[in-house]
Amino acid sequence: MLTRLLKWLFGVLASLALAGAAHAQASADSGRALFEQLCVACHSIGEGERVGPDLAGVTQRRDEAWIERMIREPDTLVAEGDPLITALVERYNGIIMPRLGLNEAQTEAIMAHLHALDSGVATATAPAAVYATPELMPSQALVWRMFLLISAVIVLVFAAVAFSTGRPREVSIARAYGLRRVLFLAALVAVAGVLATTLPKTPYAAHGNAAVTEVDRIIYVAARQFEFIWSDEPIVSAADVGRVPRLHQLAIDSGSTVEFRVTSLDVNHAFGLYGPQRQIVAQTQAMPGYVNRLRVRLDEPGEYPVLCIEYCAAAHHRMRSSLIVR
Amino acid sequence: MQAANRQIFHWMPVVFVLFPILILLGAFMRSVQGGVLPELEGWFYPMMTLHGVGMVGLWYVASMAIVADLLTRYVRPSPVVANVALWGTVIGVVLLLASVFLGRYAAGWYFLYPLPFKGEWPAWSNLVFLLSLTVLGAVWLVWTLDLLRAIGSRYTLPQALGWHYIAGRSEPAVPPAILIITISLICGIAALVSAVILMALFFLEMFAGIANDPLLMKNLTFFFGHTIINLAMYLGVAAAYEILPHYAGRPWKANRVVAIAWNCVLLIVLFAYFHHLYMDFVQPGPLQYIGQIASYASAVPSTIVTLFGALLLVFHARMRWNLTSILLFLGLAGWAIGGIGAMIDSTINVNVRLHNTLWVPAHFHTYNLAGLAFLVLAYFHHVCQNATGLPENHLLQRASALTMTFGAYGVFLMFYLAGAYSVPRRFALYPAELAHGTSYAFWGMLCALLFLLGFLLYLGETGRRWWRAVAG
Repeated sequence: MLTRLLKWLFGVLASLALAGAAHAQASADSGRALFEQLCVACHSIGEGERVGPDLAGVTQRRDEAWIERMIREPDTLVAEGDPLITALVERYNGIIMPRLGLNEAQTEAIMAHLHALDSGVATATAPAAVYATPELMPSQALVWRMFLLISAVIVLVFAAVAFSTGRPREVSIARAYGLRRVLFLAALVAVAGVLATTLPKTPYAAHGNAAVTEVDRIIYVAARQFEFIWSDEPIVSAADVGRVPRLHQLAIDSGSTVEFRVTSLDVNHAFGLYGPQRQIVAQTQAMPGYVNRLRVRLDEPGEYPVLCIEYCAAAHHRMRSSLIVR
Repeated sequence: MQAANRQIFHWMPVVFVLFPILILLGAFMRSVQGGVLPELEGWFYPMMTLHGVGMVGLWYVASMAIVADLLTRYVRPSPVVANVALWGTVIGVVLLLASVFLGRYAAGWYFLYPLPFKGEWPAWSNLVFLLSLTVLGAVWLVWTLDLLRAIGSRYTLPQALGWHYIAGRSEPAVPPAILIITISLICGIAALVSAVILMALFFLEMFAGIANDPLLMKNLTFFFGHTIINLAMYLGVAAAYEILPHYAGRPWKANRVVAIAWNCVLLIVLFAYFHHLYMDFVQPGPLQYIGQIASYASAVPSTIVTLFGALLLVFHARMRWNLTSILLFLGLAGWAIGGIGAMIDSTINVNVRLHNTLWVPAHFHTYNLAGLAFLVLAYFHHVCQNATGLPENHLLQRASALTMTFGAYGVFLMFYLAGAYSVPRRFALYPAELAHGTSYAFWGMLCALLFLLGFLLYLGETGRRWWRAVAG
């Protein structure tokens, strides 16, 4: 009887331990995702300083409660004059970590990930995927081939003229000017044709006057050094970040027309929406004090990386997000 | 005129020393992107800033120096102002170097508001950088005004603009170089005044806390930047009009068509800068459409008149091919090819895919390296050869021109190809999804070093003559 009770008790304790470990693992896994989404632009793990400090060993050298407050409310720590963060801000050229708008569960997840890293249970980064060179999208291929073709014609013309100097002779200026007149008229027709074909297809024409009712979803994008913040309500200043819930995993139904309302909270950024073929499908600038509205119909399912493509200082090339079209 | 007193001989060593350094900075950038020096990622953006400002500034002053020299055949620019321009440029460069190397200033050559105030560099480096641009802009504006004054002492403004040709008269005979220089310098005043306003607004915010409007600042920045580098290109073309005839054995005169074409350029080029703001949807819509129309329109006079005229000049000519004429000819071809890349990108619905990708540096490197730089280097060799009369080493000269050409076009092709694949510009490192950008950058680095080799061969010919001209 006692043996049976002890076995039962051991089973319960083991289950609780395993559940706890599984929760910690799940927490660390979601913490890894959050860390890679929100933190790696400015912090490395063991790869040296970036815009902010290297976080290798941070859970061993800093108080846990302080780290949690840094993750959740760095601006409050600054306002309180916390000596540690004051020294860090001075050391890192006045750069202040922005409030990320994370809740308690998300903070715990990131803490779990940091603990896992420092105890050696987790590695700093997920194994890097290896991508092959994609096929050029049809629009990109057309641009590339047009450029090569016209450049080849220029090279051939210049080469022919250069080689002609091997046979010096008089040239009829009248005939040449006649040819110039023909080329001029041809150029005018070509320019007019291209203008007539392309000007109606601008992104301003696409949604300048179109009704909002044609849009399936409106997503607000606030760019700042060095992250994109998605939300269903406008974020117009840093103070909104804690108040307005941010969306972390953006999923769009295939075939939807989305209007991205893009702004910046600090400097000029750019919202570069790449498609599953890893080439730009649409883009617009993110300018502080202004909102650019970008309407895109997203048909092809897959992951759409979002890269900042307007230079915005040190972590510009790490500033990224993504959305899923399903 | 004694070579030692001729101002252009003082400008040549500025180019001979700074150009290889700036090329190495470009190769450094591609080496970080190409996975060769990823550990120096932290220096990428400061060196990008120095490379960008340095190259634009260097080739602008070089183009001003060559036209100031050719103008001495017709008019008298002030030697005092010329010295002020030279030493003012040196001071501006020293300030720039201090901000970048001591302060790690990294706002980029665009220094796009409000980034200069919000980066990881100290505030003093921003002040020093803006002071550098203020010094450079001030001395260049004074230089521009003096060259216009000199032209005005011999030609009235309508004459210098060739309006009598448009009216059907051919007297007085105005060299096409005078016409193009006058138009370019008028554009230069507009660009530099925009820069003065921009600097004033930056300093007002810095010292008086008056916040600026980002859209206005972006318009001022690109009006200044786009216009100044385009007019530098036109100054190089003016030099080609002036000296290519000597090598073709045929005259290249101004006439009604040339005058109409270049007056159109004066009107059109000031509106083309709008193409830099296509992806700012908050820019007033009509300005976007004007940008595309003006960008296309500016290509017609330059292609149909200047390029056609140059090709006609050389066609079946008893051509004297040497380093000067080869680089002039290649420089005009580079201008044409860069123009195609630019026209493609200045189409709004194509710009949606190409804006801020490596297609952008692709086209302006084509213009500047295989266009403007070739034209300036050609003029330098022309002056040095005329001053010394040394026997020309045709093998070395052809090797130099070919090596620079292959190196340059290798750099460009890697940029154009990466741009077609949407690899962004100004990324120190590429993400895994765009790993192919890393290999393009690696080959671009090798081609940049090949170009540098070609330039060293050029120094072997032209640099040697420069030394003989100033020391002899």
